[in-house]
Formats: sequence, C-alpha cells, structure tokens
Amino acid sequence: MTISLVVPDVLIARARSGDLEALEALYRAFETPVYNLALRILRSPEDAEDVLQETFLEVVKSIARFRGEGHLWGWIRQIAASKALMRVRRNQVRETEELHEEATAPRGAAGTAVGAEVGAVPARIDLERAFERLSDTSRAVVWLHDVEGYTHEEIAEQMGKTVSFSKSQLARAHARLRRLLDHEGTGP
Amino acid sequence: MIHCTMDDLLALQAGDAAVWARQHVDACAACRAELEALYQRVAQLKALPAFRPARDRWPAVRATILAERRRRRGRWGLWSLAAAAALAGLIVLRPIWTNRLDAAELERVKQQSATLEQALGRYDPDSRVTSGRAAVLAAALEDRIALIDGELAGLGAREDQNLNLWRQRVNLMERLMRVRVARAAYVGL
Repeated sequence: MTISLVVPDVLIARARSGDLEALEALYRAFETPVYNLALRILRSPEDAEDVLQETFLEVVKSIARFRGEGHLWGWIRQIAASKALMRVRRNQVRETEELHEEATAPRGAAGTAVGAEVGAVPARIDLERAFERLSDTSRAVVWLHDVEGYTHEEIAEQMGKTVSFSKSQLARAHARLRRLLDHEGTGP
Repeated sequence: MIHCTMDDLLALQAGDAAVWARQHVDACAACRAELEALYQRVAQLKALPAFRPARDRWPAVRATILAERRRRRGRWGLWSLAAAAALAGLIVLRPIWTNRLDAAELERVKQQSATLEQALGRYDPDSRVTSGRAAVLAAALEDRIALIDGELAGLGAREDQNLNLWRQRVNLMERLMRVRVARAAYVGL
C-alpha cells in the first residue's frame, strides 16, 4: 500500500495548537493506513483498532514536537509501528515453533524447506492467507520492509534487534511464503 | 549445482548481492524464476487491499483528549487558588509577624472577615454539589467559626485577644472558601 497523502501545513499547525477539528481531520486522513499497518502485523482487528487509538493519542500528545522534518505519515507510521511491535513482543508464543520448523526441514533451492508440512496446507493458497500464516515477527518484518519501505537498520531499531535478525526473518518469511504459495516440488 | 538461497535472492533484489550470486542468476533459469517470483510476491503484497476499521475510534480518542484537558485545567486552577490563598494569607497574617497591634488593624481584619462572608454568600454553597469529604470538612470549619463567634460575642474586652480571635476567624473563613471553591461543582440550576 503506497501512501501519497499530503496534509496541508495549516492543518498540521492547527492540530499542533490543539484544535480538535484539525486533530480529527488528521485522524480521518490516516486512520486507514494506520489501521492497515497494525492489522497486517497483528492480524486481529480488535488489536489493530487498539493500536489505531493508541497511535492517535500519542500523535495528539506529541504533535507539538513534530517539527515538520519529513512526511507526517512517516512520523505517524513510526508511532503506529512501534505500538504494533510492542503488542507483538507481548505475544511471541509461536515463534519457537516457527524457528524449529524452519531449522529442521531439509533445504532446497532458494533456501526453501521442502517436506511434509507443505502437503499439510492447501496446494495453492492466496498471498493474503499465506501472509497470515507467518509468525507475528515475520509478518511485521515483511510488511515493514517490503510494503512500508523500512530498511533493515530501521526495523532492527524499532524491534530492538540486530540487522542480521531482521534480514534472517525476512528470508525465512519469504521462504515460507514461497512454500505456502507454490506446489510442492515447484522451483529449481 | 549450488542454487541461490533466499538470502541471496533478497540481496539480489536489494542490489547488494555477491558477485557469484549475480553470475549464477544470469546462468541459472531456475534461480532467475525464483528471483522473478520474489519480485512478484512483493508487488502483490503492496497491492493487497486496504481495510477500514469496523468501529470508529475517534470518539474514544476525543473523549480521552477532553478528559486530559479537564484534568490539566483542574490542576492549574488548584495551583492558582493556592497561590491566591497564600497571598491573602500573607496580607492577613503579616501583622502577626510584625506584632503591630492597633485598632486600625482590628478594623481591617474585621473588614476582611466581612468580605469573605459576603463572598461565601455570593458563592451560594447550597446550589452546589460537593463530595462527602468536602462537606464534612466544610461543616467542621463552620462549627469552629461558630465557636469563635460565640467567644467574640462573650468577650468584648481585651483588644489583643479580640484581634487574635478575628484573625482566627478570617483564617477559618479562607479555608472554608478554599474547600467550597476547589471541591464543589455548580449544579447550574
């Protein structure tokens, strides 16, 4: 999802002065991208709505400190990503299973694990469903990197991890997506 | 033949792959197809539909903002009141520190007491809602003022004691005012 939304400076100035109408206008302008970012990372609509609310409360609290460097969406997105990742950290139960699965499966071309678990899922599922099957951390890394355009350095900073962690999560997630999307044995 | 791993393909996509990986992709149709599939996946991810939240969370955000503003105003109001009371206290009590007791001073304190009495009357405490704690505090202060009024009525004579009691009365009236103003909300009827 590409955001090309431009918010007039006068609206930002009014919002910074605490004008409720201006703050609502900002909310309306960014509620969908913020909600989508949170929903893609967290999957749960309720959690995504909570992140949306938390994000805008933070925006209201901190907008006086926004000096206009960079796009407003970039600033709001950073807050939203941070709030969503905080929730991810609270729920990392499945991470160990995912890592175990990836580590133990035999590897084929493109680092993909080929094996019985491919047969356990439908031969072809759409990207939306495949993406949902990723772990919270993997989804967060894929979405932030591939869709929102974050660098590995930025992701590492946001997640409190290393650049290598971000890179390996992305590779692992793509390998899993490929496996979920393709027929068993497809590929080199 | 060693094929590219997903790390290699992602590095190729990012433009920072090793030389051997670039050369391999040029020569290997399977890995070229994998790279193309990676580009396709990323493009499809970017094209996934956007969803709107089912519920409008703005009313909740707005309510929180307004509650926070009310809280902040209340805090400032309390500070202002405390500052005003401190100033009033300074004006009233300054003569005690300087021990200047004279009839003019007595008159001034009496006047202060009357002014506070009028202010409390204008404030119309019966039309306001107070917390139970504030009501108990106000009642205790009113009782103490009534006791002083009784003493003053029965005293009449010695000037210094008289002045001291009037000062106590003013002090209690100010405290009563603070309790009424800071802790009561107007019913508005």
